[in-house]
Amino acid sequence: MNKKFLGLVPLLIFVLLCVFLYQGLFGNPRELQTGRLGQTMPAFELPDLMDEQKRWTDQDLLGEVYLLNVWGTWCPTCIAELGYLTELREQGVRIIGLYYEQAYDPDFGDQFDINYLRTDVQQMLARAGDPYQFNILDLERTLALDLGVSGAPETFLVDKNGKIILHHTGDINPRVWRSKFAPAIQELQP
Amino acid sequence: MIPEIGYFSLVLAMGLSLLLCIFPLWGAYTGNLRLMRTAPSLAVGQCLLVLFSFGVLIYITLTDDFTVAYVAHHSSSTLPWYYKVTSTWGGHEGAILLWLVMQASWTALVAMMSKSLPWVLRARVLGVLGFLGVGFMLYTLWMSSPFERLLPYYPVEGRDLNPLLQDPGMIIHPPLLYMGYVGLSVSFSFAIAALLTGKLDNTWAKWSRPWTMAAWGFLTLGITIGSWWAYAELGWGGWWFWDPVENASLMPWLVATALLHSLAITEKRGLFKSWTVLLAIAAFSLCLLGTFIVRSGIIVSVHAFATDPDRGLFILSFLALVVGGSLALYGLRVSQVYSEGRYKLVSREVGLWVNNIFLVVATLIVLLGTLLPMIHKELGLGSISIGVPFFNQMFAILIVPFAILMGMAPMLRWKQNKLPPLAKKWVGILVATIVITSAWLFSSFDEISTLTYLATALAVWICIATVVDLVEKVSVHPSTAQGLKRLGMSYWAMVLGHVGIAFVIASVTLTSAYSVERSVVMKKGEIATLNDYEYRFEGVNEIRGPNYGGHAGEVTVFKDGEYVTLLHAEKRLYDVGMQFMTEAAIDDGFFRDLYLALGESMGNGAWSLRIYHKPYVRWMWLGGILISLAGFIVLADKRYRRRKQTSVEHA
Repeated sequence: MNKKFLGLVPLLIFVLLCVFLYQGLFGNPRELQTGRLGQTMPAFELPDLMDEQKRWTDQDLLGEVYLLNVWGTWCPTCIAELGYLTELREQGVRIIGLYYEQAYDPDFGDQFDINYLRTDVQQMLARAGDPYQFNILDLERTLALDLGVSGAPETFLVDKNGKIILHHTGDINPRVWRSKFAPAIQELQP
Repeated sequence: MIPEIGYFSLVLAMGLSLLLCIFPLWGAYTGNLRLMRTAPSLAVGQCLLVLFSFGVLIYITLTDDFTVAYVAHHSSSTLPWYYKVTSTWGGHEGAILLWLVMQASWTALVAMMSKSLPWVLRARVLGVLGFLGVGFMLYTLWMSSPFERLLPYYPVEGRDLNPLLQDPGMIIHPPLLYMGYVGLSVSFSFAIAALLTGKLDNTWAKWSRPWTMAAWGFLTLGITIGSWWAYAELGWGGWWFWDPVENASLMPWLVATALLHSLAITEKRGLFKSWTVLLAIAAFSLCLLGTFIVRSGIIVSVHAFATDPDRGLFILSFLALVVGGSLALYGLRVSQVYSEGRYKLVSREVGLWVNNIFLVVATLIVLLGTLLPMIHKELGLGSISIGVPFFNQMFAILIVPFAILMGMAPMLRWKQNKLPPLAKKWVGILVATIVITSAWLFSSFDEISTLTYLATALAVWICIATVVDLVEKVSVHPSTAQGLKRLGMSYWAMVLGHVGIAFVIASVTLTSAYSVERSVVMKKGEIATLNDYEYRFEGVNEIRGPNYGGHAGEVTVFKDGEYVTLLHAEKRLYDVGMQFMTEAAIDDGFFRDLYLALGESMGNGAWSLRIYHKPYVRWMWLGGILISLAGFIVLADKRYRRRKQTSVEHA
């Protein structure tokens, strides 16, 4: 009896695992990832990527619906979506970049060269399209952590009161835009 | 018309595997020898049809038939012919077809090489393989066919193969990995056939062992090449990132490694039978789980594979059926399995048993680290992220007792040992380890941290212990030549495997501790220094390849004023996708790699460059190759060859 039960333990564990895998397949993992949905943007004060004298705070962003796009030049998918994001900008969507620097990790005291980064970013945007109104540089990753960012690209849709409406992981393409962002923005229009 | 022939050929192949699944299993169940005898010809027929279908895919890719969606998405007319061939497994649909090719080939091989197996067992093994074939073929035909057309509107030019995949490493990496995955399905089938037969004696372990070794060898080589490709092609000098997709290949490897050791006990001593069967089921189940993770989009990975919930659902259902079914069978049968044989605490049995525990724990860590973020979220506990530090730390803890055991266990004999003589030997080896590690590290590096010393000592410990054991085993014979001859391939495999692991441990340790890098901006003629090497920038040339343009930076390297090498690092822009790729320049050496990546033009003829100095990094892949050789040389073992001869007599 005892041995019979022991023999079935692997099966039980596996069945349990399957339940989770099944849920994972349909519970859209990409949307639930943030605990920030429905809350307001965390307070921050961070420099502009191109001009460290210029600083941005959460208050500066209020008043208009915008996309906050987390990206980096090291991230191929981010580069791939720049073209489509630029099209969106031309259609009047306000897009603000949150630059995520991967080579620099504050916990390891890495060396960091801001001028190199700026040239890199400028060249990339000149080549692949520049969708951004401006870019926020979050070197210590405080804002990214507060937002629950786990990688790049990730995009937040924020309403004019600073409330986070959507959190999307992965690239934005016409399909994602039509199925996810466009309806959400439509709802925000008075 | 031609793509449709490829598709039709797959349909026929699936018909044959359906028969392969039904006839032999039914025959074995009812004792009908005629039905059982159909298995080998069905297996070979199925294999020929799948190979033909794959040939068709290669043909339509080589002839740039962009009416076929797969070719239009993964190839282009400017692609060199060898990368056109590679593109047939560069995308999801083609990769699955490649999987089918491997599956069918392994099945046909088993059919041809198993002549001396009792018919009941042979029929069941092939029947189970046929069942797996049906699953994968159904998947291919139903939701992942590489022969879908883009008619009536098709592009005049293809989208090209992802430049990341345009690399020799990528030509061989997926086939090797799949050889490994699919090879483990053979071990799986042997285990299921043994469970069905209800005879879990050591014969099945003996049969299963060479197949498992071969599959494991391919898997090792596949992972090694994958790591080398990441290092050479991604341009930032890393080799392993604990990405879910990488973990998907590591888990079956860890379990297969446990399986090899456990098969040895089952074959030699008739012990741990039910455990060995469970490992054989687990190893292949983890291959399926890995496929599910990679192809379903359930976990966010840096590897961009085709992800689609429908496909995920199919694989999950198949996974549930195959794994659930076999675990249920296991649960029903295992209570009837008894292992006989006694052993004491200090014995090879216990050594191998502890080895299995470590490997299984390591697998569970990887599994948890990979799936926990998802499970956590599904339980409504919010998002967590488990990253590189978690895995690194857990493996750093595990490797210490594991490596110590790896040095000690081969000296243990079956059943029991007297501890004092062994302990004396181990103390001697420990002293030698300390002496050699100190001499090595203090002569090579200025600063040595305790952890670095400890980890290096583990590698040295394994090597010395292995050599001491080898020398002892040879010296009991009257002459060295005779002693070497007596050792047997399995023993040599163990030596190679363990020394390979030592190389990997040393490499990971030393390259992590002592790699240095420097980002510089240089103009022509300027010199940068890193670790005794001087790098003189010779300027940048325009380059033009078959399907890309770009720049190549030339850097001459000197050490103590002497010329070392000329590095040629490229930055390519691929024509079709307009994607940038870094082709790092690597001067490889036994003790160090010089690694150079070309950055951007900074104006005025100045370029940014990134220089890396990576000591001992090559030992990692050297170790991987040694380990995989261990898998292959066992095939040359006399015992397995002799079996083939007796098989002829039987027939």
